[in-house]
Amino acid sequence: MRQRSLIAITAALAAGALTLTACGSRDDNGGGSDSGNGDTTVVIGVDAPLTGDLSALGLGIKNSVDLATKIANKEKHVEGVTFKIEALDDQGQASVGQQNATKLVANKDVLGVVGPLNSSVGESMQKVFDSAKLVEVSPANTNPALTQGVNWAKEKKRPYKSYFRTATTDAIQGPFAAQYVFNEAKKKKVFVIDDKKTYGAGLAATFTEEFKKLGGQVVGTEHINPESKDFSAVATKVKNSGADVVYYGGEYPQAGPLSKQIKEAGAKIPLVGGDGIYSADFIKLSGAAGVGDLATSVGAPVETLPSAKEFVANYKAEGYKEAYEAYGGYSYDSAWAIIEAVKKVVEDNDGKLPDDARAKVVDAMQNVSFDGVTGKVSFDEFGDATNKQLTVYTVKGGDWATVKSGTFTG
Amino acid sequence: MSGIGPVEPDGDTRPLDPPPLTPRLRSGPAIRLPGRHRSTTAAAFLAVAVLAAGTLLYLTRPRPAPPPEPRFPSQTTSFRYLYMQVRDANATLPEFEFTIQALTESGAPVTVLSISQPYAGLSLTSGPATPLRVKGDGSRKIVMTVRVTECGKVPRNAGLPFLDVTLRNTRAKEAHSYILGARYARDLSTALEVACGNEFR
Repeated sequence: MRQRSLIAITAALAAGALTLTACGSRDDNGGGSDSGNGDTTVVIGVDAPLTGDLSALGLGIKNSVDLATKIANKEKHVEGVTFKIEALDDQGQASVGQQNATKLVANKDVLGVVGPLNSSVGESMQKVFDSAKLVEVSPANTNPALTQGVNWAKEKKRPYKSYFRTATTDAIQGPFAAQYVFNEAKKKKVFVIDDKKTYGAGLAATFTEEFKKLGGQVVGTEHINPESKDFSAVATKVKNSGADVVYYGGEYPQAGPLSKQIKEAGAKIPLVGGDGIYSADFIKLSGAAGVGDLATSVGAPVETLPSAKEFVANYKAEGYKEAYEAYGGYSYDSAWAIIEAVKKVVEDNDGKLPDDARAKVVDAMQNVSFDGVTGKVSFDEFGDATNKQLTVYTVKGGDWATVKSGTFTG
Repeated sequence: MSGIGPVEPDGDTRPLDPPPLTPRLRSGPAIRLPGRHRSTTAAAFLAVAVLAAGTLLYLTRPRPAPPPEPRFPSQTTSFRYLYMQVRDANATLPEFEFTIQALTESGAPVTVLSISQPYAGLSLTSGPATPLRVKGDGSRKIVMTVRVTECGKVPRNAGLPFLDVTLRNTRAKEAHSYILGARYARDLSTALEVACGNEFR
C-alpha cells in the first residue's frame, strides 16, 4: 500500500514536472530577454523626423530599427555584441540633420546609421558621414542624385562610398507612375504640383518627363509652400486648367489638404503622388475627397511577403504606439544590413571589433546579402537597392488598396 | 506532501485481514475502508496522471516545422530583355521581334499565363504561345512579336516601358509588370521609329 502510494505520488510529481516543462518550453519560445549578453556595445544611429508633420513616418522608422536590434540581441546574431540605438530628431530639416550627423560621428560606439526620411536631409548628411567612414543606410531617400550623382540622367557616378539605401529611386518611381496614369488610368492631361524640395521637385520632374514621352499633356504646373495649408489658389488653377489628373511631388501633410481643396474647388479628379503621400495620415487629412487618389510606393505589397508578416507580428508584439508606416520594413532591413555588416567584420577579426571598425563596416556593407522583410536585400555599385519593386495603391474603404505592382529588371 | 495525492494512512498497508473483534479495531472500517478507497484512488490517479503525462508529451512533442509556403510567383520570377530585331519594315503592318528570358529562382515551377503591353497602337504575341511553363530554377527564352497597328498612338520614346505578365504557381495567380530597363526602352523606340517611318518625323 505504501509502495503504491509512493508510485502514485511519484507519478503525480512526474506529471506535474512534465506539465511545467512543457509550459516552460512554450515560454522559451515566446518570451526571452530583449538584450543580449555581449561584451561590446554597438550603437546604430537613427535620424528621422520624430516630431512635426512627418513624425508618423519618422517614428515608424525609429521603432523598426529598434525592433531589428532587439531581435538581433535576442537571437545573439552577432556573438559578443549587443546592439543599441541612438535616435535623433531631424524635424525634416537639412540643417538639423547635418548637426545630428556630426553628433552621431562623435559617438565612437556608432558603427552605422539608419536614415534619414527626406532626400534633402540625406544630402546634407552624406559628406559628414563619408568623411568619418560611417555607413549610412536610408530606408526612404529616393532622389537618384544621392547615389548616382547630380548628372545621373546622363552619367552615373557614385558620390559617396558610405551611403546606401534600401528604397527604390525616383528615376524609376516617377516614370512608373506616369506609365500607370497614362496607359492604365487613361489620363492624358496632367497638372503637376511640387513642394520645391529635393524629393518633391525631383519626383515631379521624373514623372513629367515620362508622361510627356508617352504622349501626355502637361496643362499646368505650380509650386506650393510646404509651410502653408491653404492651397485654394492652386486648386482654382487646377479646376480651370481642364486637367483630368493632378500629380503632386511632395509629402502627405500638404498632399492631404491639397487633394481636399482641389475637389472642393470643383475638380473631381484624382491626385497622384509618390511614397511621400503613402501614409494613413494622407487618408485622414484628405477625408472623403481622397477616395480614388493614387500613390506609388517602394517595394511589394506587404500582404504578398511572408517575411513582412513576421515583421508585422513582431512589431505588434513589441507594443509600439506608432504604426510602422511606409518605411517600417525598409528601416528594419536597413538596420539588419548594418547588423550583417558588423557580423562579417567581427567574424573576420577573430570575434572582436577591429580598431578601424567603421571603415570595415562600409566595405562589408557592399557585399551584404540576405532575405529581408522587403525581399532580397543587397546593394549595387552605386549603393542602391538591387530589389527595385514599386506598387501603385489607391485610397479605398479608408485604407490604401493595392492596384498594380512592378519590378525593374533592367 | 504538497497537497497532491492521498495522505499516507497510519500503520500497516498490507491487504486487509478480516476484522478482529477488538475495541480499537471495531472502529477499523472507519480507518480501513478509507484505506482501501485510497488505494483505489491512488491507482486511478496514477492512471490519470500517466495518461495526462502521455497526452502532454504527445501534444508537446517536437514536430518538424511545416514546409514554408511557396513565395508569390512575381517574387521568384524575373524577365530580362535580350535583344531586338526588326523583321519586316516594309510590310503593311510593320512587325518586329524582341527576345526576353524568363528566369525562376526557386524550386517551384511557374506558368506564364499571358504577356501583354499597355500601349495603344501595338499588339503583342509570344512564341512559344502562352500559357508556357518555366521549370523551377530554370530559364526560358521567349520571342515577342510586336505588330504596329496604329503608328499615331504608339509611344515614341518611352523611358521605362512595361511588359504586363500574368503568372501562376502553386501559391497564387498574380498580375505583375516588368520594367525591362533603359536598353529595352532605347531599342523599342528605334524599332518603332523604323516601323512607323515618316509618321514619326
